Amino acid sequence: MQTRYGVPITFQNLFFRFDPLILIVVSIAYRTIISTALLAVFLVVATLIFGRFFCGFICPLGTTIDIVDAFIKKRLKTQPVFKNGKYLILLFLIVSAALGASFLHFFEPLAIFERSLTLIFFPALVYLGSLFTLVPTVAYQESAIALLVFAMILGLNFLSPRFWCRNLCPLGGLFGLISKFSIFKFSFLEGCTQCTVCEKVCPTGAISFEAAKIDAAECIDCLRCQYECPQDTIKYKTALVPTRLDLRRRHLITTLGASILIAPLAKTLLHQKLAGRLIRPPGSIPESDFLNVCIHCGKCMKTCPTNGLQPCILEAGVNGLWTPRLVSRIGGCENNCNMCGQVCPTSAIRKLPLEEKTYVKMGTAVIDRARCIAWEQDKVCLICDEACPYNAINSLNETIHGTTLLRPFVDERICTGCGLCEARCPIEGRSAVEIYSIGEERKHHGSYITEEKVNLRACEEKVEDIPSGFIIDN
Amino acid sequence: MAKMTRREFMKISAGAALATLLPKSLFSAKNANGPVIGVAHGDNAKLVSAAVDLVGGIASFVKPGDVVCIKPNLSFASNVDCGATTNPEMVKQMVQLCLDADASKIMILDHTIQDPTLCIERSRIEVAVIDKKVNLVTLQRERQYAEVEVPGGKELNTIQVAKAIQNTDVLINMPTAKSHSATGVSLGIKNLMGLIWDRGYLHRVNLHRAIAELATVIKPDLTLVDATRALTSGGPGGPGKTVILNKVVAGTDPVAVDSYTVGITHWYKKAFTGTQVKYIRAAADLGLGEIDTSNMQIKEATV
Repeated sequence: MQTRYGVPITFQNLFFRFDPLILIVVSIAYRTIISTALLAVFLVVATLIFGRFFCGFICPLGTTIDIVDAFIKKRLKTQPVFKNGKYLILLFLIVSAALGASFLHFFEPLAIFERSLTLIFFPALVYLGSLFTLVPTVAYQESAIALLVFAMILGLNFLSPRFWCRNLCPLGGLFGLISKFSIFKFSFLEGCTQCTVCEKVCPTGAISFEAAKIDAAECIDCLRCQYECPQDTIKYKTALVPTRLDLRRRHLITTLGASILIAPLAKTLLHQKLAGRLIRPPGSIPESDFLNVCIHCGKCMKTCPTNGLQPCILEAGVNGLWTPRLVSRIGGCENNCNMCGQVCPTSAIRKLPLEEKTYVKMGTAVIDRARCIAWEQDKVCLICDEACPYNAINSLNETIHGTTLLRPFVDERICTGCGLCEARCPIEGRSAVEIYSIGEERKHHGSYITEEKVNLRACEEKVEDIPSGFIIDN
Repeated sequence: MAKMTRREFMKISAGAALATLLPKSLFSAKNANGPVIGVAHGDNAKLVSAAVDLVGGIASFVKPGDVVCIKPNLSFASNVDCGATTNPEMVKQMVQLCLDADASKIMILDHTIQDPTLCIERSRIEVAVIDKKVNLVTLQRERQYAEVEVPGGKELNTIQVAKAIQNTDVLINMPTAKSHSATGVSLGIKNLMGLIWDRGYLHRVNLHRAIAELATVIKPDLTLVDATRALTSGGPGGPGKTVILNKVVAGTDPVAVDSYTVGITHWYKKAFTGTQVKYIRAAADLGLGEIDTSNMQIKEATV
């Protein structure tokens, strides 16, 4: 099966797997090397040779920022600059990760970009498409928050060009650190007239005549200086001398202090214990690690065919913002689909084969008999039984005040918590059958298929009463 | 659905009124005026044309240039062999018949319950799209429906019915024979629920009667039940017990076809007749057709 936007799975998460920041931070926080992201080594080697070319040529967020830059004509006279900010954020991420909490999703540019595409632009595009075709529309709860963050990052351009890339982006900081040792750098040649044209066109402020140098850590290889130089005295050439990093001790100590204070806050998992309605996608690793390994990119939500995977707002705590959860009232987990695990770039949702996915217990359906119209109003509804692909909901005769009628019962041993019943319950508003994380299974390794589960599901002699659609002669 | 002119209507009603005046003894030649049921049995590759021939041949339904809507059951993304969805080979044969009868356009329609892409994939219905004239359309959007009044409806006043079938020349209903947790069996009339927008509403009122009332507004010209295999328990979505029958049941009387089909196998390990199924009975009570199998002309063919 293909994802619903038609791109083969292999290319789905390739970008993230080349990202060294994800590799480093997630591996430290998870205490395990994220093998899916090992491709990032190529990018590190390439940066060691060519410098911070990723930021100037590949980064999609950088490209978007550049496009916005082109439309901004007026800026502040004195542009605020805090070049070391990106190194401090990088340090914060690494120290917090070492303390067991990942905050990557707030700063990782590729995750920010992908999430913005998913939560903001994807629903809009699908809606426009649905005006002319029959594609079902999608929506995500509170996507306005993602829009706000995205708009803020782009809005920073009013302060200075590429503000995010120069001052805040931890991936840029990481590439900057590596670029200090890169083989190729831009440097001035003999014959420079110090006309300062290059200094003015440089979008990242890497060129400074005061210091008489081009800072390799800031330079994103965009080539603008080389094009604009009237004397042709800027050249990209080998220069093996590394440039120096200039961090203030006070800033370093503040950053370390902040990580030590903030990281433990994220590790208090009260929300998970209290909620009981936080259903993670099938095959998600245990919660405390899930929050560290998930980069909140939104790939799984975009690929979910029922639109049931929704971004958390506060359901999983503040640090769980934008992590996926199954809101089965919107859409259940299709028994024929395992796409979320296939596209997850860090395997926070494990890549399970289709059959194994159907055996993952995400939770258990609970019937609210006071709301259920088969229980409370003697209606022949039983849509939940009809919707259940595993026959975990059985309709059995039950007499209430003299009326004998089929009423739904959940067999909690078979129920996987897929929520297809909750999605289809025909009563208005809250469903009368809801999924709670009762019996939820989360495994790092090993199969979800057990002999007991297979036997229970295969059992042909199921308890099944004759439907009340039949009139039975006595 | 071909529209009846006022004159035709008058003729038929006058005839019917006269007929009631005739002494009962005239009908003693049993079955002679009952609805015709065509049952074909045997080789799956020839079933559809054999059954259609028994009820008058395709030419009596599809005129050259007609637009034909075929409504199979594609509701669930279940394994096609379990019987929760119509056998795509049967639909393909029907499409071929319509093409041979020179239909100008053939639409295969359903409002699927699960994700339409998955339902199409799992039901393998695309094998029936054998010609440019054949369109496969899922009815997942409200704008594909238009409101229709239900005259004399007790459970339904109005209902949103697919526009496609309101404008078609011929409607062919192709259900699969399966059990149903709420209605007992799901056959032809029950299959019409895949042509309306809000199915959930029917479950919130008296379901059996509501289904029968639905059949007063959607009247297929031909019903052909795919009973090549029947899902006799665990329906409508499966999994459950599937029995191989290698049969197809055709007829123009929707009540008669459903009522007859109930008797061709056991459901939930018990034998039932059509009169024991509440929705079929409700439809018969509304005068939509013959429920008593002894009043039907049953023609069988083995191929």
